[in-house]
Amino acid sequence: MKLRKLSSQPQAVTAVDGSQAETVATGQGISRRELMRNSGLMAGGAVLGTMLTPGMMRRAQAASPADRTGPTKVVRSVCTHCSVGCGVYAEVQNGVWTGQEPAFDHPFNLGSHCAKGAALREHGHGERRLKYPMKLVDGKWQRMRWDDAIEEVGNRLLSVRAESGPDAVYWLGSAKHNNEQAYLFRKFAAFWGTNNVDHQARICHSTTVAGVANTWGYGAMTNSYNDMHNSKAILIIGGNPAEAHPVSLQHIFRAKEAGAKLIVIDPRFTRTAAHADHYVRIRPGSDVPFVWGMLWHVFENQWQDDQFIAQRVFGMDQIREEVAKWTPDEVERVTGADEETVRTAAKLMTEHRPGTFVWCMGGTQHTIGNNNTRAYCVFQLALGNMGVAGGGTNIFRGHDNVQGATDLGVLSHTLPGYYGLSEGAWKHWAKVWGVPYDYLVSRFDNKAFEGDQKPMNTKGIPVSRWVDGVLEDKDKVAQRDNVRAMVFWGHTPNSQTRGPEMKEAMEKLDTLVVIDPYPTVTAVMHDRTDGVYLLPACTQFETRGSVTASNRSVQWRDQVIEPLFDSLPDHTIMYRLANKFGFAVTMFKNIAVENDEPVIEDVTREFNGGMWTVGYTGQSPERLKEHQQNWHTFDTTTLKAEGGPANGDYYGMPWPCWGTPEMRHPGTPNLYDTSKPVADGGLAFRARFGVERDGVNLLAEGSYTKGSEIKDGYPEFTADMLKQLGWWDDLSAEEQRAAEGKNWKTDLSGGIQRVAIKHGCAPFGNAKARTVVWTFPDPVPVHREPLYTTRYDLVEKYPTYEDRKSFYRLPTRYASIQAKDFSKEFPIIHTSGRLVEYEGGGDETRSNPWLAELQQDMFVEINPVDANNAGVRDGQMVWVESPEGGRIKVKAMVTRRVAPGVAFTPFHFGGHFQGDDLRDKYPTGSDPYVLGEACNTAFTYGYDSVTAMQETKCSLCRIIPA
Amino acid sequence: MAKMKFLCDAERCIECNACVTACKNENEVPWGINRRRVVTLNDGEPGERSISVACMHCTDAPCSAVCPVDCFYTTADGVVLHDKDQCIGCGYCFYACPFGAPQYPQETAFGVRGKMDKCTFCAGGPEADNSAAEYTKYGANRLAQGKLPLCAEMCSTKALIAGDGDLVADLYRQRILRRGGRPQTWGWEKAYGAA
Amino acid sequence: MQSKVRLIAVAWVAGLALAGCYGKDGGLQLHQPGKYVGANDPLLEIAGTPEFEQRLERRFNMVQTDR
Repeated sequence: MKLRKLSSQPQAVTAVDGSQAETVATGQGISRRELMRNSGLMAGGAVLGTMLTPGMMRRAQAASPADRTGPTKVVRSVCTHCSVGCGVYAEVQNGVWTGQEPAFDHPFNLGSHCAKGAALREHGHGERRLKYPMKLVDGKWQRMRWDDAIEEVGNRLLSVRAESGPDAVYWLGSAKHNNEQAYLFRKFAAFWGTNNVDHQARICHSTTVAGVANTWGYGAMTNSYNDMHNSKAILIIGGNPAEAHPVSLQHIFRAKEAGAKLIVIDPRFTRTAAHADHYVRIRPGSDVPFVWGMLWHVFENQWQDDQFIAQRVFGMDQIREEVAKWTPDEVERVTGADEETVRTAAKLMTEHRPGTFVWCMGGTQHTIGNNNTRAYCVFQLALGNMGVAGGGTNIFRGHDNVQGATDLGVLSHTLPGYYGLSEGAWKHWAKVWGVPYDYLVSRFDNKAFEGDQKPMNTKGIPVSRWVDGVLEDKDKVAQRDNVRAMVFWGHTPNSQTRGPEMKEAMEKLDTLVVIDPYPTVTAVMHDRTDGVYLLPACTQFETRGSVTASNRSVQWRDQVIEPLFDSLPDHTIMYRLANKFGFAVTMFKNIAVENDEPVIEDVTREFNGGMWTVGYTGQSPERLKEHQQNWHTFDTTTLKAEGGPANGDYYGMPWPCWGTPEMRHPGTPNLYDTSKPVADGGLAFRARFGVERDGVNLLAEGSYTKGSEIKDGYPEFTADMLKQLGWWDDLSAEEQRAAEGKNWKTDLSGGIQRVAIKHGCAPFGNAKARTVVWTFPDPVPVHREPLYTTRYDLVEKYPTYEDRKSFYRLPTRYASIQAKDFSKEFPIIHTSGRLVEYEGGGDETRSNPWLAELQQDMFVEINPVDANNAGVRDGQMVWVESPEGGRIKVKAMVTRRVAPGVAFTPFHFGGHFQGDDLRDKYPTGSDPYVLGEACNTAFTYGYDSVTAMQETKCSLCRIIPA
Repeated sequence: MAKMKFLCDAERCIECNACVTACKNENEVPWGINRRRVVTLNDGEPGERSISVACMHCTDAPCSAVCPVDCFYTTADGVVLHDKDQCIGCGYCFYACPFGAPQYPQETAFGVRGKMDKCTFCAGGPEADNSAAEYTKYGANRLAQGKLPLCAEMCSTKALIAGDGDLVADLYRQRILRRGGRPQTWGWEKAYGAA
Repeated sequence: MQSKVRLIAVAWVAGLALAGCYGKDGGLQLHQPGKYVGANDPLLEIAGTPEFEQRLERRFNMVQTDR
């Protein structure tokens, strides 16, 4: 019998330094995380001891039970961490976000989340947020009032504008904006008078958007995550959805368990590859040879779909000529994959149709990214996998609203809706905005560059090149002056390459502004002492609006909590700046403003009135909210509502959702699916490239959507075409007035679209997809070696492009870099990618303790062969050095996940720079829990030949012990 | 009578750690304490498989058998809980547990163990259900609200399943049937006996 | 007299101090091997009842299945 004290003191789970938890044995084998956790144990513990703020201690000790009283309000929102678009039930008590329940009736995620989604409620704590407007004064952060911040930042930008023109200010927007904010942001840049506006899409899927749109019309995921239930084969190349889009794996596994084959092609044996039926390792940057290698077997064995090609594809003969060069021997020589492996992949795709083709950054982030994406499309066209449920090109987008921000034109080369920058495009939007076209012209610099090119009509500098916009000789930049002020609005700098040059550029700027919920790496990576401003924006949980998932579904988020600390919603900050700049009244003439906050629904309605090209016209705020309130009525495979108020609609009305909201088009679940009427989401390939090329008909032949009154191909609809067809009188008198002289893209009444669909036709026509893009540098996708290659022996046969004098306003180098062989000094290929716990530059997720605890160290994956050759042991600190001089000090992770000769780094870390810890440069209490070297400090020059996408999947490095 | 069980389907587990952060989120588990963790074998090589592990709420719980102060109790549906007021932090349960579930916060600089903490199957502790006292000491009590553990409810691929053992087995059997594979009920024999 | 008061005061304080050692309940708890003597969890009263189990079964079918 034992005596002991009976304690009545509650034993709260106390804050600890992390060391005890590590005593738990985990059996044989050791995972990446354990390695990192164990090896970082002492450091992590020590750091925590010193960095836990009093607030954090309090939070860790008590779970604020006092917050958990009172009635619970359940708010429906959508996760902000990736493009899957997982539904969220947020429970709010007394204005505090106290609970998060699985949204099990949501059609995309059925309640599921990944590590990030399951940790969303931490957004309601926001311990490490940027709390107040701040500025750097003599190297110290000083708190400001919002009014002063707007005034001061505004004056500085206006003075740059006065001295150097509107193009000297760069407005870098975000995939974290909701649709309304994204649209306002692009409009804001237009009113400021510049096309120097861009966002993350440039450096994630710009080559997809360009490549795919130029193949068949729209540059987006053609089907949906849910539709993969119908796939018989799923081929993933250059993508690791198990870490980047974990909930998508739920849909992939549903297909797999029903017999679908999962094929993964990647330089790394990823967590996705671990579940593959067939895994193929290729050398980074050899996608075109691999795809042509598969296609070689397809053509060799007559596995292609001849009828589909004859009816719906242009230029396959030219593809055959190129593919014929890629014999199994040559494919193995270039990619490293042998004949049998390649043949098996091709055969699996052939024998399991319909199959879908998934790709991500591994395919897009290359100097030939646009060639890669087009090669993928061609493969699907050859097998007839397009326009069918279970098929398609399922391009997984990255950020939660990168699709929406792309569609709404936060890009340097187009206005919202992919209208471009031509005079016609500006006139269209001027009409929607209700401002005279001449007013917009007056906002721009009207001096001509490069002959007669005016900045208003020329592509602005892309985010991948802003550094060159600052540092390049003024005379070589096709605008009045260099970029002199940068506004990072929801965008981190550590996602862009060439770190050392970026630091130099930041220091050369007149003004550097961050508008973000977090200070981000922008606040600390330079050695400036003045002229830096941090303005706190709130997250999407502190406002409301619509967001577009990867599958083009538009979802509505309600506001969960009030903006934390002194933060404001993006659209409020835009309004206040517009006010300071003097164009608020004009810019918001159709939009009500309450307490400086533009009314979100009015913004939605305004873009509904102009986004005819991609069909963002039918998704009114009312319909979006109706879908949001009826998640449970949508089928989890077809996404179609069965009964209920949204009966017959597809969830989120995936664009194109044609015509006006009153037309109640249900949205288009799978693009180019001719088995359905257009009125029920059917489509043909878009007639975007004319009607004839070299004497060959570009319109579809004998293929048309179900119920079409035109039983053949046809061009895009115009007012004249309606008259020729005798359908003009189907328009109302009012519609006729609006439609006269217009086409399906510019008729603001929507009448042309309505009448075309009434007759079973697609407003954008019915054409062939083109495999040859005659407007691109490589009309037929070809292989070109990366600028920095380990296979210099292949450069002669597969050289890169010639240097270009002006590309997106800047000189751009290709051949002059490839001219030198760096592979002797830098023998290892450097590639990068994602971790499941973090997102993007990672400032937000590394500030979430529930996530940060799981990944405490930046690391580099090295094969045992390379590690032993370099004298590097597992867990040891090493330098990863690039041929351009950037170097990062990181922990070695020795693993066979990468092949010999390949090193991998994750891209979410920041806050260390070339060996220095910058923690003390953050404003007090706003430093993320975990810091580390940004891999992009050691990534090098290289830009896609069409979109200026940066090359981050294939560079060179050497690794030495630190 | 129901018997609450966890099952992690290794064919579906992708080591996304949603279960780990869901647990942190629902129970406000502090940095350094991991009631649930994901273990990966053959990391980065063919055959790589992951399993999410926490307290399995064993039928004849070894932790309970070795506890010198008998702080454990089991609900009618087989959830193994403990009273932190009774626990003396001796660590015996940690050595007995085949799953490495018990966790101990470090209370002083000299490493004296604090009260043991572990997965409660989201069923709290002895205090009044869903009271502030219970939440502070043990975290949420979802079972009392008619809900299941959040780790399983939020699993990205529905690999981790929690609930009555019969329902769990039925659901899993259907999957195995579709896949045409053999069931691999990792940890079940150890936790719930040969049956 | 004064020393007596002091003595009483000291005794009272000592008593208080001693009582403090046993917590405010002031009771001793006897350990009985194999027997749980902690607080009674109210969950034990509802766990295993048909309503409780039916609720959890409904929940299971909603959130754990692929629907």
